[in-house]
Amino acid sequence: MPLKKKNQWKEGRAAYAMILPAVLIIAAVALWPLLRSFWISLFDLRLNDPTRNAIHYSYSVNVEQYADRLPGLLRTVKREAGNARDGASPGLSVAQKKLEAVSGELEEDPAFRERLAQVNGLLDAFSPVPQELRFIPVDNAKAERLKAELQGIRKELIGLKADGSLERPDEVIGLTSALLDTFQAPNFVGLSHYKDLMSGRRLWESLGNTLFFTVFAVALEMLLGLLIALLLNRTFRGRGLVRAAVLIPWATPTAVSAMIWHYLYDGQNGIVAKLLYEAGLISDMGSLLSSGSMVMGSVIMADVWKTAPFVALLLLAGLQNIPASLYEAAWVDGGSRWKQFVHVTVPLLKPAFFVALMFRTLDAFRVFDLIYVLTGGGPANSTESVSIYAYKTMFSELDFGKGSALSVIVFVCVLLISMVYVKWLGADVVGRRAG
Amino acid sequence: MNQKTGPLFYTAIAAFIGIVIFPFLWVLLASLKAPLYLYGEYAFSVKVPEYTLHNYISVFTNHPFGRYLLNSFTVGVLTMLLSISIAAFASYAVARLHFFGKTFFLGILLAVSMLPQIATLSPLFLFMQSTGLRNTYAGLVIPYTTYALPIAIWYMTTFFKQIPVELEEAAKVDGASLLGIFGRVLLPLVSPGLFTTAIIVFVDAWHEFLFALTINTKQSMMTVPVGIAMFQGEFTFPWGEISAATVTVTVPVVLLVLLFQRRIIAGLTSGAVKQ
Repeated sequence: MPLKKKNQWKEGRAAYAMILPAVLIIAAVALWPLLRSFWISLFDLRLNDPTRNAIHYSYSVNVEQYADRLPGLLRTVKREAGNARDGASPGLSVAQKKLEAVSGELEEDPAFRERLAQVNGLLDAFSPVPQELRFIPVDNAKAERLKAELQGIRKELIGLKADGSLERPDEVIGLTSALLDTFQAPNFVGLSHYKDLMSGRRLWESLGNTLFFTVFAVALEMLLGLLIALLLNRTFRGRGLVRAAVLIPWATPTAVSAMIWHYLYDGQNGIVAKLLYEAGLISDMGSLLSSGSMVMGSVIMADVWKTAPFVALLLLAGLQNIPASLYEAAWVDGGSRWKQFVHVTVPLLKPAFFVALMFRTLDAFRVFDLIYVLTGGGPANSTESVSIYAYKTMFSELDFGKGSALSVIVFVCVLLISMVYVKWLGADVVGRRAG
Repeated sequence: MNQKTGPLFYTAIAAFIGIVIFPFLWVLLASLKAPLYLYGEYAFSVKVPEYTLHNYISVFTNHPFGRYLLNSFTVGVLTMLLSISIAAFASYAVARLHFFGKTFFLGILLAVSMLPQIATLSPLFLFMQSTGLRNTYAGLVIPYTTYALPIAIWYMTTFFKQIPVELEEAAKVDGASLLGIFGRVLLPLVSPGLFTTAIIVFVDAWHEFLFALTINTKQSMMTVPVGIAMFQGEFTFPWGEISAATVTVTVPVVLLVLLFQRRIIAGLTSGAVKQ
C-alpha cells in the first residue's frame, strides 16, 4: 500500500505542475480582472479628466501645481494688501496670514517639504516633472480641513471684491480656486454608479433590447437548427458537401458577416431590402436599418443566418449518437414516424439540445460585434445591448467607473442565466460539457 | 434513420444551402463588379457591362489591408501555439491523472468559458495601457490565450481519453517516466486532436472583435475584423472594397474549414455531445 500512496502523491504533484500554467494565466487574466472590474466600478474613474484618471484611495496634493501656484498667490495677495485703499487691508492681511498657515501646515510634513524642494528644483531647471513625483498623499482629515480653510479665504476675497476694494479681484480669486484644485479628492463613490444606472432609463432599455434579442434569436436558431439537423440526418448524395457548407457562416468573423448584412440591408443597393420590398413585406427599402421597430428584426435575422447552421451541426452530432437499433425497435413495434420522434429522438437528443441552448443563450446575451458593426446600437439606441452600452460608456465617454459597473451588470446577468440553466438542467448535463 | 429521399427533400436541402451561401455569392459578385455598377440601376443585376479586379487591388493599395491580414495571422498563430502548449499538459492531467481539486479546476474552466469578455475589459485595458502592451501582438495574444484555454482543454481532453490506457501502461512497464510517456507516446498519438484544436483556436482568434477593437487601435496594429468594420467612408460605404476584403478574409478560412471539416466537426461537437 505505501508504494501506491507514494505513486499517487507523485501523480498528484505531476498533475499540479501540468495544470499550473493554465491556472496561473486564467487567474491573472480572467478571474483577477473580473474582481478588479467590480472594484473599479466603485470609483469615479474618468480617463479624460486629469484629476480622476486613476483610482485615488485618499486625498493627495499635486505638488507641481502647488509649487507653481502658491508663490504667485501669496505675491498677489501681498501686492493687493499694499495697494489697497484704507479699510480693505485688514481683510487682506488676514487672508494672507491664513494662506501662510495653510501652506505652513502642509509643509510641516517633512516628506511634503522634501518633495516640494525636489519639484522646485526640476521646475527651476525647466525639466518636466515625472508623473510619480507629481502627487503626494495627504491625511484625509487634514486635507479636508485645509480645503475648508481655503474655501473660507476664497469667500472672503469674493466679499472684498463685492466691496470693490480689490485692484484685480479676479486674479486673487482665480489663483485661490487654482490652489484648491491642487487637492485631489479620493474618487471612491461606492455603489452610486449602480444606483444611478438603475434609476436611469437607458440601462433598462438596453437590458430589454438584449433580452428581446436573446429570446427571439435563440428560439429561432434552436428551432431552425433542429429542423435542419433532422433534414441532414439521412443518408443522401452530397451529404458531406452540405455538412461542410454549414460550416461556412461559422468560419466567417461575426464583424465581417455584419458588414455583409449591412450591404444586403442597404436602403439603396441592398438586395435583401429590395427582395423584401418587392415581396411587400416592408413598405420602404430603407426601413430595415433605419426604422426603430424593424432594426432589431434585421439584427436577429443576421444572427440566425450566422448561427442556426452551427446549432444544426451540434444537434446533428447528437442525432447521430442515437443508436439506429432504437429506431428499428420502434419500427418493429409499429411506431409511426411521429411516435419515433417523440419517444426516441426527443428524449435522447435532450442533453445535446439543452447544452447548445445554454451556450447559445449566454453567447446571445453578451452580443456585441454583430450589433456594433451592423447598427452601432442605433437608430436612437433601439438596438443597443448592455454590452454596447458598457463599451460606449467606457470608450466614447471614457467613463471607466460607470462602464465597469455596466460590465459587472452584464456579468451578473450571465451568472443568473447560467445558474437558472444549471439548476434546470442539473449539474450532470453541464458536467458533460466539461468532459 | 434511413428514410426515403424524394424530390421534396432535395428541394428543401437546396433551399437551405441557397440561403446559407447566397450572401457570400452576392458579395463575391459585388467584389467583381466595376464600382460604377454597384449603385443605381445595375445594383441588383448579376450581369453588368464590366467585371474587374479593381476592388481587390484598391483594398490593398488604398487601405493597409495587407497589414491587417498580417496582424490577424500573427496574433492567431501565436495564440494557437501558446494555448496548445499550455492546454496539452493540462488536458493530459485532466484526462489521465488523479488529483485533488480536479472538479474545481473543471468548474473554473466552465465558468471562464461563460464569462462575458466585457466584464474583464476595463482592468485589462488599463493594464495594457500602463504596461505599454497596447498596440502590440502580446496585448491581444495574452487575453486570447486565456479565453481559448477552456475550449482547448476540453477538446484535447476528449482526444486524450480516446487513447487506450494499455499503451501508457506498456510504456510504464518499459520504464518510461511520466514526461517520457506524455512526450513520446501520447503527444504523437493525440496530434490529430492537437491539430483540430489548433484550427479551432486559430479561427476564434481570427474572429475576435472586442479586445482587438479596444486594445489595438493603431492602424498598423489592427486586425482584420476591426479593419473591415472601420472601412466605412465618411458619407458612403465603399461596398466594392468591403466586398473584396470580405472575400479575401473569408476564402482562406473557408478553404481551411473545408479541408479539415471532418476533424473540425468532430472537435466542435465533442464538447456538446459526449460519446
